[in-house]
Amino acid sequence: MRRALIIALLVLAAVPLLFGVSQLPPIGSTGNPTYTHVVPRYLEEGAEEAGAENIVTAVILNYRGYDTNGEVTVIFTALVAVLGVLTFAKATAAKSEPAEETPVPAPPMPVSPVTRFIVRILAPFILLFSIYMVIYGHTSPGGGFQGGTIVGALLIAVSLVSGSAQAKRLLPERIRPWLQPAAVLAFALVGVAGLWLIGPYLSFPVEGELVFLRTPWLTIIEFGIGIGGAAIVASIFWAMEGSD
Amino acid sequence: MTRIFDILLYALLISCALMVIRTKDLLGAAIIFSTYSLVMCLVWQLRGSPDVALTEAAVGAGVTSVLFLITVARTTRRER
Repeated sequence: MRRALIIALLVLAAVPLLFGVSQLPPIGSTGNPTYTHVVPRYLEEGAEEAGAENIVTAVILNYRGYDTNGEVTVIFTALVAVLGVLTFAKATAAKSEPAEETPVPAPPMPVSPVTRFIVRILAPFILLFSIYMVIYGHTSPGGGFQGGTIVGALLIAVSLVSGSAQAKRLLPERIRPWLQPAAVLAFALVGVAGLWLIGPYLSFPVEGELVFLRTPWLTIIEFGIGIGGAAIVASIFWAMEGSD
Repeated sequence: MTRIFDILLYALLISCALMVIRTKDLLGAAIIFSTYSLVMCLVWQLRGSPDVALTEAAVGAGVTSVLFLITVARTTRRER
């Protein structure tokens, strides 16, 4: 009975959805609204106008800068939520059960020598690649998000191989609270600079004598996103691992 | 040739998605899910979006898998 009801509900939900999909214009047709409004402008003038040869970066950081500003805020909020929930859970657990019933920490996993060797050998190259990706994000695929996540993954790998204490020294406690919101801070910096020099918040110079600022601003945002992303990814890992 | 490869990738993608739901071993599910992300990364690259492919490889196949594995290690391995 319950099963039949579920199937009926699913069919009921599927019919309007499929009907809606069947009304969409055919995929790849040049008359589609996606190809007639902003896309030609982005493709033809994006490289010139936005200061980034990689159109994806031009769209993400320049044309749709507000969206990305919101996104990095969401990611930072996610970190705050994870830290809040896990720290709160730890605090209440410590309060409810006194010292004799401390949770047994998971035994340290033995890392195979092969893994350790490979991480040690590859770590500098991974770091170099991610920095390259951040710096050249406006001319080639990649950018702050990707490079930052790779640095974060590298910090996780180092934590797994040689212990979190070792990896945390790369991101000292003293400056970590400033690195975690780096993306938000970079956006705020560039946004206020645009407000001060040009006009609306987060506006980029299109022409005039300030045009040379465009690429440096993009690079500042890319670095902010990269540093912030790396710090956030690594911090979430350390919080979940329980070493924080 | 590209078409065959495409079909192969999509078949792998769908079977990964089904297996993630079916399997009761959460460690296995996390590993299959990272395979899904890796295949998805190839699909993005073939569809001409290297930016998304890079993100998928770093976030989907890398970081989220580690977070899943840590969660499994700190909770339980079998689905109840």
